[in-house]
Amino acid sequence: MKEVENTVTARRTGSRFPLDGWERSLLALLVVEIAGFCIGIPGFYDGIGSLLGLTQNFLPFGIVALGLSVVILTGGIDLSVGSMAGLGAIVMAEFWQGLHLSIWLSALLGVGTGAVLGWINGMIITRLNTEPLIATLATSFIYGSVGTALAGENPPAGFPDSFNALGQGEVGGLIPYQLILFVVLAIFFSLLMSRSAYGRKVVMIGYNGEAARYSGMRVPRVICSAYVISGTMAALAGIVLASYYSAVRPDMGDILLLTTITMVVLGGVSIFGGEGRIAGVVMAVLLLGVLRQGMLIAGFSDMVTTMVTGAILLTAIAIRNLVSGRGTGFALLFLRLRRLGGGKVPEAAE
Amino acid sequence: MRNPKKAALLVAAMLGFSVGAHAANIDTSKRIHVAMVPKLIGLSVFKANEKGAIEAAKKLNINFLYTGPVTASAQGQVDVFNSLIARRFNVITTTSNNPTELAPALRRAMKMGIKVVSYDSDVAPDARDFFIQNTAYPEFGKALVESVAKYIKPDAKIAILSSTPDATIQNAWIGALKTYMAAHYPKMTIVTTQYGQSSPSQSLTAGLNILQANPDVTGIIAPDGAAEVGAAAAVQKLGLTGKVIVGGCSDPDSIRQYVKAGVIKESPLWDEVKEGELVMYVARLAYNNAIHKNSTFTAGDLGTFTAKDGVIIFSKPLIFNAQNIDQYHF
Repeated sequence: MKEVENTVTARRTGSRFPLDGWERSLLALLVVEIAGFCIGIPGFYDGIGSLLGLTQNFLPFGIVALGLSVVILTGGIDLSVGSMAGLGAIVMAEFWQGLHLSIWLSALLGVGTGAVLGWINGMIITRLNTEPLIATLATSFIYGSVGTALAGENPPAGFPDSFNALGQGEVGGLIPYQLILFVVLAIFFSLLMSRSAYGRKVVMIGYNGEAARYSGMRVPRVICSAYVISGTMAALAGIVLASYYSAVRPDMGDILLLTTITMVVLGGVSIFGGEGRIAGVVMAVLLLGVLRQGMLIAGFSDMVTTMVTGAILLTAIAIRNLVSGRGTGFALLFLRLRRLGGGKVPEAAE
Repeated sequence: MRNPKKAALLVAAMLGFSVGAHAANIDTSKRIHVAMVPKLIGLSVFKANEKGAIEAAKKLNINFLYTGPVTASAQGQVDVFNSLIARRFNVITTTSNNPTELAPALRRAMKMGIKVVSYDSDVAPDARDFFIQNTAYPEFGKALVESVAKYIKPDAKIAILSSTPDATIQNAWIGALKTYMAAHYPKMTIVTTQYGQSSPSQSLTAGLNILQANPDVTGIIAPDGAAEVGAAAAVQKLGLTGKVIVGGCSDPDSIRQYVKAGVIKESPLWDEVKEGELVMYVARLAYNNAIHKNSTFTAGDLGTFTAKDGVIIFSKPLIFNAQNIDQYHF
C-alpha cells in the first residue's frame, strides 16, 4: 500500500514540477541554438528580416502541431493530418480553378473541408468505437486517394500574388504573414487549453477518460471536437503550403505527419494524453524548425538532419520518462538516485 | 538540322575574331560556388551526371557541391534550394521532381542574382535561366523505333512498356516515336501500352503480361530505365530470346547482361557523364553572363551548342549495342 501511495505522489509531483521546467529548458535551448547558429554558421544570420523569414520554411508544421496537440491531449492520435492538409489545399485549388470562385473564398471552403474531414474522423472514433490510430490511418488513405483523384494529372498551380503573399510575403518586408498567423493561433490555443473549461475537459479526458465520464462529461462530443480542430488546422496548414509553393499536389502534406508528432511530443505533451501545454509545443516547433534550417544552411544533407531529428525525439522521450514517472521503471531509479543525492531520506542508507 | 548549324558557324566566323576568342576562352578567374541538385541522391544516372560535373568543375574553377533530398520529393528540393540561397551560391543547377512546386523558390534565387540552370527535367521556364534538354524529342523517338524495328518484320506487332501514365518525358518520347513509326513503318502496329511504375518488379510483371496476353508481339519498346530491364527479363524468363526484341532506354550498367545475351540489340540514351560536364560549362558561362537565351557557345572539348529561348539540346542519342556497351559505366 505504501509503495502505491509513493508512486502516486511521485507521479503527481513529477507531472507538475518538470512541465514548467521542460518549457524553460526548451526556451533556453532555443536561445542557445539561435545564438550558436548566428555565430557559427555563415549565412544563417543575414539581418533580422531574413532570420524571421526562415520561419516561413517550417511554420505550416507548427500550425498542424497546434491542432494535433489537442487530439494527443485527449489521449488520441490523428494520422490523417497530412492527407487532410493535401485534400484541403486541393479542394481550395479546384474551387478556384474549376468554379472560378475568388481565391480567398476558396481558401475558406478548403479550411471548412478540413473541419468536415476531422468531424468524420471524430464520428468514426466515437460512434463506431474505433481506435484513433486505426481510424485515422484508414481515413488518411481515403482522403489521400480522394485528393489524388481530384487533383488529376495536372494539379492546379500559379495562384494570384495576393494569395501567394500568405506563404511567401512579409509585412513591411520584415515580419512574415505566416509568423503573424502562427502567433495569433498559438496564443488562441494556449488560452483555449489552459484557461477555458473546454481545455480543462480535454486534459481531464486524456488523463482519465473513465473519471471524466463518471463526472458527467459528454466525452464523445469533446473527443469529436478535438478531431474537428485537428482537421481544420491541418487544412489551414495545407493552404499555407499551397501559397508557399504557389501549387498544390496530393502528396504535399505527406511530410507533415511525422515531424509534427515529433514537435508535439518534444513540446512535452504526453503521447498517452492528459499532460502537456501549448507553450511547450510552440517552443518545440521553433526549436526543431530552426534546427533543420540551420543544419541545411550549414551544409548538412537532408539525411543528417532527419537523423538528428530522430535522435532528439528519442532523447527527449527518454528524459521525460525518467523525470515524469510514466512508462519505464527508470522513474523509480531516478527517484532513488535523487534521494541518494539528497541523503536526507533514511532509505538512502541501503 | 545540319545546314542551320553551318550557317550559324559561318555567321560567327564572319562576326570576326572577338566572337571566336570569346567562345574559346572561358573566363575562370573568379572561383564560384555551383550546386547540383538531382531529384534524389543515390540514383545511378544522377551519379553519372555528378561524375562529369566534378571533372568539369576542376577545369572551370568551380567549387562544386552535389546535394539533394533523400526521396524524390519537390519539397525536399525546395528545402535544399533555400539553404543554397542562404549560403549565397552563385549558380544552382537542378533536375526537377515537378515543375510547379519548385518555381517560387527558384524565382526567389534568381531575384537574388543566383543563376539557375535546369537539366534533364525542366522547371517552369520563368524560374530558370537555361534548360539543358537531354536530346531532341523527334530524334529520340526515331532512335527508339529503330532500336527494335530494324530487327523485326515491317508489319510486326509491337508493345510499349512505359513508366507511369503521366510521366512528362516518357509521354513526349512515345508521341515522337508514334509519329516516326507512322511515317517510316506504316504497317507496324502498337497493340498495347502498359506501365511498370518505374519499378523493376512491376515492370517485370507488366512485361510478362504483355507477352502472355499477346503472343504475336515480336518487339517491345520500353522508354524507361526500369521498364526496359523488366521487359528484357520477361523475355528471358519465357525463353523468347531472339523471338522478341526489346528496345528502349536505360543506363548501360542495368542492361549490360541483356545486351550481351542478345535480348536487347540497341538501346539509345545519351552520355550522362558528358551531360554533367555540360551542366557545369553552362553554369560557368551563365555566371559570366557570356551566354544569352539565344546564342551559340563552345563548351571546351564537348563542342559547340546553341541556346534557343534558353533551351540547350545536349546531344544526339547515343546508341549502346553489344560492341560499344563496355566503354560506358554508369
